[in-house]
Amino acid sequence: MKFVRLLFKSVFRNRLRSLLTVSSIGAALFLIATLLTLLYTLTNPPETPDSALRLITRHKISLMNALPTSYLEKIRSVEGVEAVIGSMWFGGVYENKGVDNMLAQFAVSTEQFFEVNPDMEITEAEKQAFLSDRSTAIVGRKLADRYGWKLGETVHYKSNLFPVKVELKIAGIYDEGGDQGSGVYFHWDYFNQAMQNNGIMGTFSIRASSPESVPLVAERVDEMFKNSTQPTKTETERAFQLSFVEMLGNVQLLISSICLAVIFAVVLIAANTMAMSIRERVREIGVLKALGFQRRQVLGLLISESLLLALCGALLGSWGAKFFFRGVDMAAISAGFVQQFDINGLILGVCAGLGVLIGVLAAGVPAWRAAQRPVLEALRNV
Amino acid sequence: MKIPLKYNLRSLWVRRTGTLMTGLGIGLTIAVLLTMGALVNGLFSTFVSTGHDTDVIVMRQGSASEPNSWFSREAYQELRLLPEVARDSEGEPWAVGEIIVVINHPKRDGGSSNVMVRGTSQRGLEIRPEVELAEGRMFRKGVRELVASRSLAERFQDMRVGDTLQIAANDWKIVGLFDAGGTAYGSELWGDYDEIAQVWSRPIYSSVTLRANSPGETAGIIEAATEDRRFQLQAMKQKEYFQMQMVSAGGITALGLFIAIVMGIGSTFAAMNMMYATIMARFGEIGTLRALGFRRRSILTSFVVEAIILALIGGILGCLLAIPIQIYAWLTGPMGSMNVITFSEAVFNFRITPFLMSLGLTFSLFVGILGGFFPAFRAARLRLIDVLRD
Repeated sequence: MKFVRLLFKSVFRNRLRSLLTVSSIGAALFLIATLLTLLYTLTNPPETPDSALRLITRHKISLMNALPTSYLEKIRSVEGVEAVIGSMWFGGVYENKGVDNMLAQFAVSTEQFFEVNPDMEITEAEKQAFLSDRSTAIVGRKLADRYGWKLGETVHYKSNLFPVKVELKIAGIYDEGGDQGSGVYFHWDYFNQAMQNNGIMGTFSIRASSPESVPLVAERVDEMFKNSTQPTKTETERAFQLSFVEMLGNVQLLISSICLAVIFAVVLIAANTMAMSIRERVREIGVLKALGFQRRQVLGLLISESLLLALCGALLGSWGAKFFFRGVDMAAISAGFVQQFDINGLILGVCAGLGVLIGVLAAGVPAWRAAQRPVLEALRNV
Repeated sequence: MKIPLKYNLRSLWVRRTGTLMTGLGIGLTIAVLLTMGALVNGLFSTFVSTGHDTDVIVMRQGSASEPNSWFSREAYQELRLLPEVARDSEGEPWAVGEIIVVINHPKRDGGSSNVMVRGTSQRGLEIRPEVELAEGRMFRKGVRELVASRSLAERFQDMRVGDTLQIAANDWKIVGLFDAGGTAYGSELWGDYDEIAQVWSRPIYSSVTLRANSPGETAGIIEAATEDRRFQLQAMKQKEYFQMQMVSAGGITALGLFIAIVMGIGSTFAAMNMMYATIMARFGEIGTLRALGFRRRSILTSFVVEAIILALIGGILGCLLAIPIQIYAWLTGPMGSMNVITFSEAVFNFRITPFLMSLGLTFSLFVGILGGFFPAFRAARLRLIDVLRD
């Protein structure tokens, strides 16, 4: 501890260099924190007790094959099913505002809608307003904020999937829910009417009665339709969401290789800075040793110096990223793929750990060499 | 008077460890950017190389893609008989109606993805001569047989010749593999239209491809196809339809740009650090240069040039690092990502091209200029008297 002042004196010896080093490590860790969070968010959709009880049934062939509406009542009768709704992805574009059709936007059967989605936070009055009027919709807070939608406003949606346009009056704005406030839900009955009553359902969302019954419900539902012309595949909401990420390709390999390359690059850069800084202080280090400092004390001092710089960079980078992304609407940028982009404690911890690693690796060789150098040679050195 | 380039080269050589480390640090950044660029490039070139200038694709109004589109057989009959459509020597129109269905199928390396199945006919094969049979034979009419793109077969299970592909309760036999010549058809399975329409119980068409006599006459077909309000159709140039799908690379492009900006800043600071250190160690030299009569401007230029060389060494190292990545990509076969328009797998090749490498070198050039300017400015501003006294 008594060397803390010496440590700080060394760090502030060349302020510009320390600043530049901290900044380049910071930039790298800013990137790593972002990439790791992206990977984490994509592969770990938020799971709540309510979402863990939800299952999604789709056509076995693919999501792009619709299912008969008669399946709704059949699924409702399955043991362990507490509530079920049918939904059809609308694939809508709001006033042609580009391709935002990745968003959760569904025509849903409403009779058990809030039983399946009890995690949606919405006032009782808005709930009733939505349920009682077929031409209304509820929208997520994030989406409402993005487009500036107000309660009572009418929005026009045009489908990319069906020859249908809908006019929806916003009856409610919800928070949270399975899609974290980024969806549009309207009445399937209205959609069906627009489709000349040949409406179809794409998926069924089921709420199981208990966590234990979740796998059983999936099995029972699929078993029931196994030999029909329209067999189904039922999986948990989480597995269903992850299947979209799987389709993006090998994201995990891509992101982890980028992170490795960035870490390696920053270690090289930091090592070079440390080497330069130590080379300039050869005589100073010789003086320290002449004064009676042990080799390991010198080594310790030099490594601590590098550690301090790298850790500062890592904290600056990762916390900087945390604050930076607070002001960024990731859902809009990623077309709905990433809903919540928060750099969490785990990733901040990993970044701090990487800072320590970078600091030790960067100082290792040059510091060891400096500590080993005989005093006489060091003092003679210019 | 200009300071000879040799001076900078020697200086970099004297500090070769530092030069190499900084260069490699910048080089790794360039290698990452080249990798991202190669992914975007692979996706882009797939979509750009698909389609014919003479061909028009007709879909239902409002559908953004073939799997989302459907219209009646009646509409198809009218479309193929349009007078604007080119005809072959036997008087048959160059037109093909097809159905596109999407199946979710397991990949070889785990997970699953959506794959497009195109129900087509002999005419569909004739209108796309770029698709060539590579192994086995073509599918036959009236039988549950499919041919798969070779790249698709490398990525998905049960798609080798002789395999049986189970789709829901039906078995389809894979009888051949085709080479799509780097086009978007490389992400598809092809089979007989009637058979697929029957199994999916959809007596409809997803799209109709019509050929004009010349690229200039496509406008006439587009007009004629959309004129009939009964069918609510939309028509566009086939090439445009595929080029629209380049938005699938949007995510990777955005990520790549983000990395370029952040790591560009990081690398610039690294180059700056190196240049400041080298200039501080060379006060005496700079003084001598000034005493010899070199102007401040010459010194500024000289040090910026040195930073550029340092960064370009990084750029070159980055390009060299990219070579094994490209070789690895060749060995592991085609890559896949999601086609956001068709919502199914887009198979593409990882392609690092000389153009990408030149972009990487340009990037490093900018790192050099930005990283070198401030240190060089400082060197140029030094007062002769101070430096010589030091």
